Amino acid sequence: MKTRQLLLTALAAGLLGASFGAAAYDADWKRGRIYYRSVCTACHAAQTGGSIAPSTMTMAQWESYLKADKHAAGKDSLRRYVGKDYRAGIRSQNKAADKFADVPDAELLEDVKAFVIKGAKDGDAPASCS
Amino acid sequence: MKTNRPNRLARYWRATLLAAALAGGALAGSAALAATTASTADHAKFKELQQSFASGPEVTKACLICHTEAAQQVHQTKHWSWEFLNPATDQTLGKKNVINNFCISVPSNYPFCTSCHVGYGWKDASFDFTAEENVDCLVCHDTTGSYRKLPGLAGHPPYQDTEIPPGSGKFAKAVDLTKVAQKVGRTSRDTCGACHFFGGGGDGVKHGDMDSSLAAPDRELDVHMDATGLDFTCGTCHRTSSHDVPGSRYTPVARDTEGAHIPGREDDSLPATCPACHGQAPHRGGGHAAKLNDHTDVVACQTCHIPQIARGGVATKMSWDWSTAGQMGPDGKPMLKKDEAGRVIYDSKKGDFVLGENVVPEYRWFNGEVTYTLLGDTVDNREGVTRINRLGGSATDGKSLIWPMKVFVGVQPYDPVNRTLVTPHTAGNDDTAYWKNFGWERAIKTGMQVSGAAFSGQVDFVRTEMSWPITHMVAPKENAVRCGECHMQGGRLEAIGGVYIPGRDANPLIDLFGWLMAGGALLGALVHGGLRIVRRNG
Repeated sequence: MKTRQLLLTALAAGLLGASFGAAAYDADWKRGRIYYRSVCTACHAAQTGGSIAPSTMTMAQWESYLKADKHAAGKDSLRRYVGKDYRAGIRSQNKAADKFADVPDAELLEDVKAFVIKGAKDGDAPASCS
Repeated sequence: MKTNRPNRLARYWRATLLAAALAGGALAGSAALAATTASTADHAKFKELQQSFASGPEVTKACLICHTEAAQQVHQTKHWSWEFLNPATDQTLGKKNVINNFCISVPSNYPFCTSCHVGYGWKDASFDFTAEENVDCLVCHDTTGSYRKLPGLAGHPPYQDTEIPPGSGKFAKAVDLTKVAQKVGRTSRDTCGACHFFGGGGDGVKHGDMDSSLAAPDRELDVHMDATGLDFTCGTCHRTSSHDVPGSRYTPVARDTEGAHIPGREDDSLPATCPACHGQAPHRGGGHAAKLNDHTDVVACQTCHIPQIARGGVATKMSWDWSTAGQMGPDGKPMLKKDEAGRVIYDSKKGDFVLGENVVPEYRWFNGEVTYTLLGDTVDNREGVTRINRLGGSATDGKSLIWPMKVFVGVQPYDPVNRTLVTPHTAGNDDTAYWKNFGWERAIKTGMQVSGAAFSGQVDFVRTEMSWPITHMVAPKENAVRCGECHMQGGRLEAIGGVYIPGRDANPLIDLFGWLMAGGALLGALVHGGLRIVRRNG
């Protein structure tokens, strides 16, 4: 009983702490932009030659895509590609992965999310005079 | 036991909450500590900014409670007045006075053009330039990327969701002024670029060396701004004091003869030039490097280190022909034509465009003196082209260097009777705006009335040219222009006069002199050797 309560306590503490932490983190869309362009776009361009510009999807589509966490038509996890392990594996050839090697996974994912949401088809876009 | 159970539970819950608070606090604290490495102030904590704002000027009033001198400083700048008296030429310049061959002119189009003014409410000539609350702090200090000023709103951001363009079904969201105000920070490539990347009416249109690709460039595009490297902002070179940003296209420093500016010296200025950091002998070492340093009194750094412009995947406009504007599609409505890449090359509102990427610049002597053809000046078409801006410079004035230029060609309306350029009223929903009614005479009549200039009522088109000195998109040294690209016939500097360029030029006198020197040396060696042989045998 005592052990179970201690475990519950620790779990609750972790969850609450994590939620406070998540609430405290203010996503850096500019850092997300650099990572997205230098890692995600660069790899996609080299591997498939296709565009994965944020504006190819709406904000809702991006939210859904990121939540599903499926990369390459569900073959693997999207989160893997912003994870520290992945960054460590490519940092010798990729300056963005090297620069952000120590950024916590959850933060970098939020950064990337903030960038694609901002740049989505129905997100904030640069103004022009036309 | 039963009586103790609630107490135990209570203890566990207290422990749980304490642990949660500590863990959460630690995480939040780490984020807060991280934030303090970038700024010494968290504007979200300022009670003046903890309110909902109905308009931009309300935000400015709150800013000025602490930043008491900021608005008056901004009032002294070209960013505010859009006016500049060039002391060298006595010409009154600035955006509100010059005419260009892109969107042509500001007067009569204020509510649209002033979406790039650092102020609120400039919708006509009655704008109050003395009102401090009219200064827009957020457009330069936004860090959220969500602040935007829409064409047609006279410098205001949208305060409610706004359809743009009207009838398009596309809506720009209302800006959350409180959120933006609470997160202000230093200027960035994004804030400067919000206007300067989009000069001329779209991304990369005007400059060629500035477009949205510079917001987060790689090293290949700009070795200084490389987002994963040096990560310079615009302000790193355009080091600003009291809101006055150095670096001017009206009076640029074409040849900086000073050495590198070192912080701590009595003169702590930092002109936005290459030598301000790199000095007069920027190439280190002997041999080839020393030879390159020999060029710095003739060739601008940019000439070798910016081999092409528009290298970031965004095309720049190279020409704009207004004379073909007004053609309608099969349905009788304004139309767009696009090239294979999906870029607009014809717009009923604007005419034909020629676009370019990876454009090799043209090269000219330039001494920093720029003279404009202004409203009222007689159109000088003797060379088949009217120069909107004439750049001074020659090989012999001691002030010039060879500079790279984007030379932009336009065909724009003018008054053939008075022989002057004109200021058409293009943007707007009234019955004289060209983009609404496609009638040049009415549009120009309205525009010239607002400008206070004479108009004969007749319209023709004139070929014009505008030169833009190139200074951004600095490539890594390994991608700099090679020696042989200039030291050859038909090379980059083929049109540059007044200077002898080995490999390009063949001056008969110099060639004769050289052959005489070489022949003399050979003759001398033969005579000397022969005499030695003759004397030894003797």
